[in-house]
Amino acid sequence: MAEQDTDVFGSTSTTQALDVPWDVILWNDPVTLISLVVRVIRKVFGYSKEKAEMLTMTVHHEGKAVVWSGDKETAAAYCVALHGYALGATIQPGT
Amino acid sequence: MSEPFHRTPDSVVVDLPTEVRTWLVGLATDAGAEVVEVGGPTNRRLLGPIDLTADHDDPLLELQRQMAVEGPLNVLVATAMATEISEDEAEQWIRALQMVLAAAAARFGLRTEDDVDGLSREDHGAITTIQAIMSLLMDALDS
Repeated sequence: MAEQDTDVFGSTSTTQALDVPWDVILWNDPVTLISLVVRVIRKVFGYSKEKAEMLTMTVHHEGKAVVWSGDKETAAAYCVALHGYALGATIQPGT
Repeated sequence: MSEPFHRTPDSVVVDLPTEVRTWLVGLATDAGAEVVEVGGPTNRRLLGPIDLTADHDDPLLELQRQMAVEGPLNVLVATAMATEISEDEAEQWIRALQMVLAAAAARFGLRTEDDVDGLSREDHGAITTIQAIMSLLMDALDS
């Protein structure tokens, strides 16, 4: 259960809101090689070949996949790393 | 025909025809020019916002991303005529070739594989050639 605080302006925030994990979303792209996506996921996240292949096929078939969840700063850093390989990636609060 | 990339213990030997190297330089140069064209499709594709819930991204992140895109393209242009490149340069080639592909996808508005199949023979051939070069380079680098 989240703790609730009220700031000096009367607005309410919760520690739970601060702790919401952020998702790194990897998007499908029709010109990107599947082998490249597997390679980059393994290189950036250190995942096993099997997990990287599973995530890549999710991207390929469903158009996108959550490839990592955690704090916002790290999510943004991972997103930048994916962009370093011109892969389409965004971050958003997890559900 | 021999393999265009051959791995040595600490480098990659490149055996590509001069006309292919010249072609790659042109593609990387064009992609670099398109990336900095603010508001253009390649700029939006490669440097669009990463946090869709925010009005704008952190300026430091934006700078990091711009460097991450421009750096590999510059390395490819600078080393395209070399007969041997380092492992790091080979990795930058892979990044740059992928950026060239992404730029083409943005330029042509490609969203599905059917869109790719609908390209002219010349444009489709260019994309499959870049993919083939990337694939061979990845195989060599990871061997």
